[in-house]
Amino acid sequence: MARLILRRLLLMVPTLFLVSLLIFTLSEILPGDVGRTILGPYATPAQVQALNTELGVDKPIVERYVAWLGHFVTGNWGTSPITDLEVWPQVMGALGNSLLLAALALVIIVPTAIALGVFAGLRKDSLIDRGITISTLSLTVIPEFVSGVILIVIFAVTLKWLPVTALAPPGSNIFTRLYYLILPAIPLMFIELGYIARMARVGTVQVLAMPYIRTAVLKGLPRRRVIFGHVLRNAMVPTVTVIGGQMGWLIGGLVVVETLFGYPGIGKLMIDAATTHDVVMLEAAVLVVAVLYMLSNLLADVVVAVLSPRVRLGG
Amino acid sequence: MTEDQFRREYAHHLIKQVNKGQMTRRQLLVRASVFGFSLTAAGSLVAACGGGSTSNSPAASASAGGNPAPKSGGTLRISAPVSITNLDPVTTYDDGGGCQIMQVAEYLTWVEDDMTLRPVLAESWSSDTSAKVWTFKLRQGVTFNDGSPFGAEDVVTTYDRLVDPKSGSSALSVFAGLLSPGGTVKVDDSTVAFHLDRAFADFPYLVSSSVYNTIILPRNYSGNFVKTPVGTGPFMLKEYVPKERATYVRNPNYWQKGFPYLDGLEFKLFSDPSAAALQLQGGAVDMEMATEFQGVKALQADPKLKILEIKTAAPEVLKMRCDEAPFADMKVRQAVAYCLDRPAVIKTLFDGKSTLGNDTVFSTLFPNAPQIPQRVQDYEKAKQLLADAGHADGLSVTLTTHPETIIPQYGNLIAAMCEPAGIKVKIDQVPYSDYYSGKGMDQVWLRVPFAITEWSPRPTAAQLVSAMLRTGGVWNETHFANREHDRLADEYDATVDEAKRLEIATKLATIENDETPMVIAFFASHLRGMVTDLYDVRGGGGMFLDLSKAYLA
Repeated sequence: MARLILRRLLLMVPTLFLVSLLIFTLSEILPGDVGRTILGPYATPAQVQALNTELGVDKPIVERYVAWLGHFVTGNWGTSPITDLEVWPQVMGALGNSLLLAALALVIIVPTAIALGVFAGLRKDSLIDRGITISTLSLTVIPEFVSGVILIVIFAVTLKWLPVTALAPPGSNIFTRLYYLILPAIPLMFIELGYIARMARVGTVQVLAMPYIRTAVLKGLPRRRVIFGHVLRNAMVPTVTVIGGQMGWLIGGLVVVETLFGYPGIGKLMIDAATTHDVVMLEAAVLVVAVLYMLSNLLADVVVAVLSPRVRLGG
Repeated sequence: MTEDQFRREYAHHLIKQVNKGQMTRRQLLVRASVFGFSLTAAGSLVAACGGGSTSNSPAASASAGGNPAPKSGGTLRISAPVSITNLDPVTTYDDGGGCQIMQVAEYLTWVEDDMTLRPVLAESWSSDTSAKVWTFKLRQGVTFNDGSPFGAEDVVTTYDRLVDPKSGSSALSVFAGLLSPGGTVKVDDSTVAFHLDRAFADFPYLVSSSVYNTIILPRNYSGNFVKTPVGTGPFMLKEYVPKERATYVRNPNYWQKGFPYLDGLEFKLFSDPSAAALQLQGGAVDMEMATEFQGVKALQADPKLKILEIKTAAPEVLKMRCDEAPFADMKVRQAVAYCLDRPAVIKTLFDGKSTLGNDTVFSTLFPNAPQIPQRVQDYEKAKQLLADAGHADGLSVTLTTHPETIIPQYGNLIAAMCEPAGIKVKIDQVPYSDYYSGKGMDQVWLRVPFAITEWSPRPTAAQLVSAMLRTGGVWNETHFANREHDRLADEYDATVDEAKRLEIATKLATIENDETPMVIAFFASHLRGMVTDLYDVRGGGGMFLDLSKAYLA
């Protein structure tokens, strides 16, 4: 187990290196340049050129990458030339906001989805099963922008039950902040519901077909023990894997919800950085998300190994 | 002759023109304001004109009209666009940045919604007869919000900083060839003189709110506006979180006594216009600074909201490159112009809320605008022109659009309207940042043969002519090169006589309408959604924000 974790952690290093290289190269291909973005469309070409030289963006790409890498690994994440903001506090702040939103969504939806999925799996092919499957699938495929706008119009504008902003007034305590995040969390919950419930259902159905379940029932174990002791534990294997995979999206992919609600999360930070050619900000944000993504997958794999001796012992 | 003599002569001249019927009273008020007459002085000129009723000065009637009495107090919450770069008055170039800085600091003059000039930090101004030396008398007794007094030195350092090529300011393009470093001179502590490189009769418009980089900063400005937001304006910056929010409080030492009515402002910044509109609908903000037309329908249905329409002379340019086939042939360009049903375009895109355009930058909204016959849709003419140009069996062209406000929809309308004339338009939509990317004349919007470019409003046609149509100009997207037009433009800038100006303007507008380097079908109005009990928000003929007299009833 410890070896597995250590190996995975070591593998993260070359992966991150490759990701950073990829982002740098892709930013090069993106049209537009930093000087033009800072000075705007009305500046003369001479001014733009002067600024680009001053910022050092017309040096060869290898030189710039090495310089950036040197600063980054020594903890000097620098300042964005476009917004004049320091990268580290911006990225960490945005990350914190996204994590809060993701945590709220997950904490509510994971137990709900698992419960629904297992419930559906236990009553496979019944009307309830069909009902749950169809409704969760339908909610999953609605794009967050659509569900977000509909939710705002119904709950914030018409009924006025929830605030239309996602950002609580500055200085609010954690509960107020979570209250403001309820509305933006709902589109996320809709999407996750489908994935997780489906996986839970599949896992349940598979497990129920196993001979050892029949043995357990024939042995005389009460149904509750069968479900919680055996079915749930084994149905979690594919479910946890899916959740681990979804973490990446939940942290870095919430651009649409963040933009719609004006919430300063890391997804919005990344897209703003990408469209304004803010390479230092973009690199930092992407790498942070990449690290979290890999860690969450690692965590998911560890949980699976704990749940399933077969995986743990490599059988 | 002395300044006083010049003014008296000019006053007589203006009155004579009105009496001869060469100018309306409203035009007199506008020209008088440009030449630095106070409203009362201008009003008395109007009264001095023979016959007819005296008209109310347009600016003074702003407070009339049945609005409830102003009330002090309240914090106004506004949803506004994000500023792409940091808040820097010298280099900021988007509306998000512009509307923030003008809460804290002010200009020498302010352009009212009807294109007249209101004195702000300048009390009065006048020029010599050549229109090359402009003298501004500054307002006395004004202090910056850090207590330091406002005087001529602040104006001199502000303008020298702006026109310094190293400043990177967007204002450089406005003042290029007009005002150079050292051209702004302190005459005494309350008088500044601008010595221009060439004559420019509309100069007071350039030191106004419409060139928002000319905001007056203290002589010892630190260079970082967010850290030291020092200005003479009605509000003070309390907190600025980039791309998120900005908070302002009333400036207790504001020189306009009794103003502002509002206690403070809270800006919430959004990069998505639908998100900003939803904030207004949901009651989280009291005003949306820039309401997209698509969002207006929803807002119109809400009885607690109202829409303010600010007419602007912002041209929506359908540009055609005059130096490359097929548009090098004037007949082809005119053919395109004859394909458009302009009123239908305005009805579709804006539900009628825009001003008709006639393929010239001299919009009818400008004071003393030339009147030339309005072009209307005429497929017979279009087909004939195409045939004469050698394209009897049709023409295929690619129209470059980008996702900004109504440009994609306008592109579709153009394609649909050109079809019956045999012009097949293929649409190529590029991302917004791509459209303005590239170096020099290689920038996409300057390079492509056929595209739609949205221009910001300018309070004078002369600025649009300089920016867009001068031969070899850095923003001459149509590559228009007409020496006669250049010569007339120079003459227009140097001419002070109103009747002569109208004559030259008519010639310029006729050339533009005839040669049709660009099709200008409309001048888009600017819409602002707000709660019904918010009054007296000024937009300055564009997307500007003057909240010094605004109040919540």
